[in-house]
Amino acid sequence: MGTSIYRLIVLGVTALAVLAPLSLVVYQSFLTAPFFDPSAKFGLLAYSFVFDDPDFAQAFWTTLIVAAGMAAIAVPLGALLAFLMVRTDVPGRTWLEPLILVPIFVSAVVIAFGYVVAIGPVGIFSTLAKDMLGFVPWNLYSIPALIVIAGLTHVPHVYLYSAAALRGLGTDLEEAARVSGANPFRVAVNVSLPMIMPAILFAGVLVFFLGFELFGLPLVLGDPQDVLVLSTYLYKLTNKLGIPSYQLMAVVVVVIIAVTAPLVFMQRLLLRQAQRYVSVRGKGLKTQPLRLHGWRWLAFGAIVLWLFVTVAVPLIGITMRSFVVTWGEGVKLMDVLTLDHYRELSDYPNVIRGILNTLGIGVIGGAAAVACYTLIALAVHRWPSGWTRVVDYLVMVPRAMPGLVAGLALLWVFLFVPFLSPLKSTMVSIWLAYTIVWLAYGMRLVSGTLLQVGPELEEAARTAGATDLRAKRDVTVPLIRYGILASWLLIFLIFVREYSTGIYLLGPGTEVIGSLLVSLWGTGAVDLVSALSVVNVLMIGAGLAVAVRLGVRLHG
Amino acid sequence: MAELIVNDLRLKLGDNEILKGVSLKVPAGQVVALLGPSGSGKTTLLRAIAGLEVPHAGSIGIGERAFFDAGRRIDLPAEQRGLGLVFQSYALWPHRTVFDNVAYGLKLRGTSAAEIKTRVDNTLSQIGLGHLGERYPHQLSGGQQQRVAIARALVYQPPLILLDEPLSNLDAKLREEARAWLRTLIVTLGLSAIHVTHDQVEAMAIADRIVLLDAGVIAQEGPPTALYNEPATLFAAEFMGSNNRLEGVLTEVSDGRATMDVLGERLTGLARTSAAAGGRAVGIIRLERVRCASEPGPNRLKMQLKAPMYLGERWELVFSRGDVTVRAYANAPLEPGEHYVEFPPEALWVF
Repeated sequence: MGTSIYRLIVLGVTALAVLAPLSLVVYQSFLTAPFFDPSAKFGLLAYSFVFDDPDFAQAFWTTLIVAAGMAAIAVPLGALLAFLMVRTDVPGRTWLEPLILVPIFVSAVVIAFGYVVAIGPVGIFSTLAKDMLGFVPWNLYSIPALIVIAGLTHVPHVYLYSAAALRGLGTDLEEAARVSGANPFRVAVNVSLPMIMPAILFAGVLVFFLGFELFGLPLVLGDPQDVLVLSTYLYKLTNKLGIPSYQLMAVVVVVIIAVTAPLVFMQRLLLRQAQRYVSVRGKGLKTQPLRLHGWRWLAFGAIVLWLFVTVAVPLIGITMRSFVVTWGEGVKLMDVLTLDHYRELSDYPNVIRGILNTLGIGVIGGAAAVACYTLIALAVHRWPSGWTRVVDYLVMVPRAMPGLVAGLALLWVFLFVPFLSPLKSTMVSIWLAYTIVWLAYGMRLVSGTLLQVGPELEEAARTAGATDLRAKRDVTVPLIRYGILASWLLIFLIFVREYSTGIYLLGPGTEVIGSLLVSLWGTGAVDLVSALSVVNVLMIGAGLAVAVRLGVRLHG
Repeated sequence: MAELIVNDLRLKLGDNEILKGVSLKVPAGQVVALLGPSGSGKTTLLRAIAGLEVPHAGSIGIGERAFFDAGRRIDLPAEQRGLGLVFQSYALWPHRTVFDNVAYGLKLRGTSAAEIKTRVDNTLSQIGLGHLGERYPHQLSGGQQQRVAIARALVYQPPLILLDEPLSNLDAKLREEARAWLRTLIVTLGLSAIHVTHDQVEAMAIADRIVLLDAGVIAQEGPPTALYNEPATLFAAEFMGSNNRLEGVLTEVSDGRATMDVLGERLTGLARTSAAAGGRAVGIIRLERVRCASEPGPNRLKMQLKAPMYLGERWELVFSRGDVTVRAYANAPLEPGEHYVEFPPEALWVF
């Protein structure tokens, strides 16, 4: 009996938390004015306004091109990287592995700022290139540059899934190709990568989907040329008409979800197929790395070059910028060095609050979120019922809402429901938004841990006389302790990095570094932004170091 | 305790009907072995009795107490059935010491700490692990883990203890020792037990009664000697022991005797068939009942000795003629060549 009540409560709360924001958005999109406006009526006015706006059409096509372009870059590179790292004797694989995953954990806005100060028109590397070549051979503020940068920073996503699939494959097929006379590159292209096609396909859809979620990169890199994608169009809409045009924003959100929801569903199908493919092959075969001989250092060089462009350039850029008064042509580094930007951080109470809030949301909020995920995962764990499918789909819903959208939807929920309004300007609102946005990811972490507990351990407790809940408390939870701690660490990293979800919820008391960075960048406070970015990167670096030290797997 | 009664139990996993109407009684103090090939439903039956699988028809109960009754919509959760279950994988909780593993059932029953201490210590010394209470399961050998799993199921004195292939994870030598130890323990403590196994020797050694399952139904049940010496069906005859299989045509059935035609010669045995003369027949005879002779006689086949094999305590001889192969045991090797192989009529079953 206890279990049924527990399950009912968990199911109800999850459904409410997930569906309320979504329903409110859909409801708002069919109103002619913001929901709090007494003159609001049902109608399709908002839809016709948005669909008639040429900027919207432009933004939609740009999003499509960027998403497809970044997938076209990230998929082959990520798959090849996985082949090199998993299958070959490329040097330094052990220390390269965590570095490869860094772009996943560093906030996209920080990377974007980093590129601007590193290779922007007067960036650190640009001025260097101009001194040597007499001109700057690249133009950061263009759609192609946006695509290349988005593509390169999403290589790790493809890498993760391809690597997992490759680890499940036997090596004999590759060795056969090698013996028949194929060089390592041909082995990868003709044998290994075709074998893991389902996983690569999944990763491709994932990256395309992430393309629709892009916000930090197009906001920073697209703005000077007025290049808009759907998310930045939504963001700009706030100021476009001067009055709160919630109904228009709701329409854009509905359009975004209409694209992302099928993509999420497709990913789910593809992932299942990919895993089936792997499990058939995964017979615990001993793997002997493919020897690259002369190609070893070439491959190593290629990986390091990618890491340099994707990780080192923006991080070096942002770090250097945070230690100089100004930068431009003809400026000598020694003349402009300073620590003032870090000192100035303390002059801004909102920045100080933001740093503390970010730590709090990461440590305490992360723990609370993992606790929620665990409660949900335990409720559906070994529940022989069709309801588990319902929970599966519920968990998927927020995945279709990019952070910016989820933050907006939640803001509306706080405005719409009278007794929730006082919470709007507290960290509770941020925590709720973060927890909902990362629900699917967190659930995957926790369920993965739960699956490792053999069913007979719980059954043994049941036959010994423990109720279902008691068996979970006494056996399951203690056994997944370390998995839960690892999940907490990963959620900490994600929450500290997060920037887009907090944007609409930003206000006095709800500052977090991510949303502050976006808002400060808008005011042109480059000095402050650089220093704060470095603080953010350091927090994530510390978390990553702990994770690597403890041997936590950096992916769910 | 009272008797465990399972009545017409049916159970589906997905679309697959695993148990197709199984009825079974385990009187107090008796050890019943559930024997059968893999997929016969023996573990599923055990888990249904424990309350870990839900049947869709039938009933399970001990005495007057119903555990499960599809008709009356009773389904007692596993924890309220009060049975002891020993898992094939032992399922010892890795985060608890041996003592805490064993003590858990008592703790759940609200036993006082002092009493728990005495009873767990008693149980542990009964199984010969009195000194290992503070260890964690991973610090024990396979045999020790298995004993802890048994102690855990025994400590709260369940009316019935369920054993799911408890010996299958031990290596061959240890398994024989553990078998003797387990039988002694069960007899000494006067336990009622259901023991699932796919090993017929283990079933015969441990059980007072064997229930032979085949594809979700009971093929035969009875004392080990009955199952071994008087198999009722071809399946039971072939499943128990090591056998020779002779195929032929039935020529005559009368007075409980059946004669069949094998390789143009007549072999007579005990009739286990309802078919009339002219039908197909299968003769089954245990390896150890086949005799070798040097001259022709009734129920003898002239066969070629192919390969004598030395097994240590005896020889195994492989005879053949045409597509018929017969194996037999002998105390001494025979010369290769032609021999007469005798099938004593009282040892040959004709199905």
